[in-house]
Amino acid sequence: MDERIIERLTELRQFAIEKGLVAEFFFHEEESALMRFANSAISLNTSEHLLRLEITVHEDNRRASFSLITNLDALEDMKDGVLQAGEILKHTQPLSYTPTIPVYQETFIEETAFDSDLAGISNAEKLDYFNRAVTGLESDQIKLGGIFSSGKNVVAAMNTNSGHALAFVTSDAQITIVLSHKTLKWEVIAEQSAQKKTDLYPMPLQRQLAYLLDHYQNAPAEQIPLGRYDIVFGPAAIAELVNTMNWIGFNGGMMKRGFSFLQEEDLGIQVLGSQFSLMDDPTHIETFPFSVDLMGVERKPFPLFEQGVFKAFTWDQDSADEFDAQPTGHDVMHKSLVVCAGNKPINSLEALVNAPRENDVLYIPYIHYMNFVNPSQGLITGSSRFGALLLKQDGRVVVPYNVRLTQSLKDIFGEKILWISDGQVAYNVSASYGARNPTALIVPNLVYVKDLEISHANSSY
Amino acid sequence: MQKQIKAQIDRIVSSGAIYADARWYPVEEEDYLSMWNGNLKSASAARESGIGVRVLYKGAWGFSASSDVNNLAGIFDKAYENARTAAERVTFPVRLAEKDALQAKFSSPNQIDPFTIAYDEKVAFLKQMDDLLNQPGVFQRVASLNFMRKQIIYIDSEGSEIEKNIIEVFPSIAVMGVDEDGETHERTFRPPRLGETRGWETIDKELFAGESERIVRELNQVLKAEPCPKDDRSVILLPGIMFLQTHETIGHALELDRILGYELAFAGGSFVTLEDFGSLRYGSEKLTARADATAVNSPGSFGYDDDGVPAQDNLLIDRGILVGAITGRQMVEEANATARKQIFRGSSGANRATSFYRVPIERMTNINIDPGNDGTLEDIIKDTEKGIVLDGDKSWSIGSNREQFHFATEIGWLVEDGEVTNVVKNSTYKGDTLKFYNALSAVGDESTWELKYVDNCGKGQPNQIMQLGHGIPVCRFDNVRIGE
Repeated sequence: MDERIIERLTELRQFAIEKGLVAEFFFHEEESALMRFANSAISLNTSEHLLRLEITVHEDNRRASFSLITNLDALEDMKDGVLQAGEILKHTQPLSYTPTIPVYQETFIEETAFDSDLAGISNAEKLDYFNRAVTGLESDQIKLGGIFSSGKNVVAAMNTNSGHALAFVTSDAQITIVLSHKTLKWEVIAEQSAQKKTDLYPMPLQRQLAYLLDHYQNAPAEQIPLGRYDIVFGPAAIAELVNTMNWIGFNGGMMKRGFSFLQEEDLGIQVLGSQFSLMDDPTHIETFPFSVDLMGVERKPFPLFEQGVFKAFTWDQDSADEFDAQPTGHDVMHKSLVVCAGNKPINSLEALVNAPRENDVLYIPYIHYMNFVNPSQGLITGSSRFGALLLKQDGRVVVPYNVRLTQSLKDIFGEKILWISDGQVAYNVSASYGARNPTALIVPNLVYVKDLEISHANSSY
Repeated sequence: MQKQIKAQIDRIVSSGAIYADARWYPVEEEDYLSMWNGNLKSASAARESGIGVRVLYKGAWGFSASSDVNNLAGIFDKAYENARTAAERVTFPVRLAEKDALQAKFSSPNQIDPFTIAYDEKVAFLKQMDDLLNQPGVFQRVASLNFMRKQIIYIDSEGSEIEKNIIEVFPSIAVMGVDEDGETHERTFRPPRLGETRGWETIDKELFAGESERIVRELNQVLKAEPCPKDDRSVILLPGIMFLQTHETIGHALELDRILGYELAFAGGSFVTLEDFGSLRYGSEKLTARADATAVNSPGSFGYDDDGVPAQDNLLIDRGILVGAITGRQMVEEANATARKQIFRGSSGANRATSFYRVPIERMTNINIDPGNDGTLEDIIKDTEKGIVLDGDKSWSIGSNREQFHFATEIGWLVEDGEVTNVVKNSTYKGDTLKFYNALSAVGDESTWELKYVDNCGKGQPNQIMQLGHGIPVCRFDNVRIGE
């Protein structure tokens, strides 16, 4: 980490004190690169170096903030930002509660999730990774797409309560490889998340893509009848579904505002299936964890569901202040969600296809464009995409045209779960809206859920 | 600074690049204030500046951006290096459609710059809204103001130099309530764009006062309502949901980069193919849609796009037939070459980036539906035997090729034999895009047409948020599945 970040924080702190301001400072520095592929070419190759500074000032129960994209040499701009925040503060209205400002007891710098080799991976290495991952798979009809997103992320915080700072440095890579048919408009996908350079293995992706391509090119394709199906979700679908609970599930502030399918009376109650356990576990380095939150609270494994029993809401400090709750160490840019493994020794699509089955099974690896139809019911909707297969009871494999699933999370992760894989994988859900925020969940390789409704089926690709 | 940028462009081009451009943002500012249940939860301002550089080398793009413009040469070099790597994997060398080299300026029309308004006045507006929304049945109430101001200096190696100064104002109010089943419902109001400007003067306090009363009243109706039935009915979409229907299933579907497969790995593709232009019956004859970047009062109007191409008003769908797309300089060349015929005569001026640190891509401008001849909303309702009127975007989910969709709305009013009967809650509808637009049976007249803004359209990798508009009349579609 650039030592000047702490120096700048210290200078800004001193400046705020001199101006009589109670202030918090939050630095975010990213060195991001994204190599994007489309139509078998590199369609875009980007590099961005951005430094963001967010300044929040307080006076009793009033609060205002000012943020800027700047550079480390622009101290005067940063100081001006402090003054700007102070000016806005004069015109704010009192909150109904007094926000808590942390007192950092010691300086804490976490760099265990940083790998300079990954952060500095070259253009040539990224291109080589992609070339190896699709060796022998491209053709006139099969086109390569995807991204290799990688970077370095620095988060640092300080405030006027103490001269100590918190800082977190991570490296990350998110790789998505898509092979699409030029005219039929179907796509298959393989993905990998990396925290360090040695996490990068292109060949497993090549095998996954080759296996899916074989089915998509040779199996019959059809519009499947509407109705109820046994569905096996892949890691991407599981991660996306679980990730929605950050907003409409266990988030205490969202619950209090009426946007959750969980209520306070659900605490200690069996809400989901007995096979489903979920925790926020910052001991998993693959999740780019915060072992201390931005209030300076040490974070430990935090059970959310144990065998379907709802254990706790998460409370960030501001929501806890507003709703008179106890904060739970969740002032973080992302949680480290881990869905516990089950006991089924089926961990790949190939093993699933080869396993005997009593019913037709719909394999959905990825859910496209999910949205909350009714947060109070936990009702979501989304479409299948990227390599779904219908595994017929008689052993045949069919390619289904895309289908729509509109279902409650309580049903998906409820007692309809038949089994969960005994192996897990890190699935990267990082979004690149705004500041870089590498995020991954640990999820089982497969989750088998019985009797879910397919409410729409396309009549073609 | 412009001289330094030009010198760098010259240096890069003289060293082998085919083309280079730079977008320098001397300043981009944003104010955001949000009051939630009387608490001013957010009183924030933001400021940023920096430069983004595109370099085209042997048919491949490289891009680099930084908030530190002190090392201008380094930023250009990085973009060039990225392009040289990209050039190692080229399948269709990038060519840019012809355009005129322009020296131009654009300023969005404003009477009052919102950044000159004192915070006290802005906070007072929010407080006034909060007081108006604080009524029985309202469990949560939110009033927000968002202002943007940006200056963009665009310079390219073809001799263009364009300065844009753009101001935008995005106000909104919302109320939420809980019904007897413990479910939360919401009504929102985001004002249509009226008048000829887009500054602080567009915030009409009287309009907001009236609308606050309406959304509270309608929320309380929803809280007592029966659930939306599962049924097949005519759906009458008010502009408050028709804008999103248009956005998702006409706008995104007709972005040429999606049609050509450039978004397949993430956002998805389009069911539209190059062969469809000029022949595909997208909708009934009542459907005429256009990309109009000349509407003066909309965030989808910006003077010149980030290729330096002037804003235009182009037909997309002419009386039901697909005739146009949302395009930039690169994609029209590739599309014409791929189709082996001239489908597009040039860029439609729709290549935009959300900030200096993102690359321009095809974005919607103002994707509008022309008003029709089927009268007022009341006329359309009278002409409907069994239907439902829908308003307010609550949830939207679209198939990966924009071929099908599912929407949930904030409120529904059942229509029986030409009359509105009762309000229903949890209203939803779904359909297949082409089947749906071909079932368009009524389009409201000018009295039903509203220009709605969108301030958060997401697309691309790295992701970009864009502001745009939709001018939309009331539309009726027959035999649509609702309530699922």
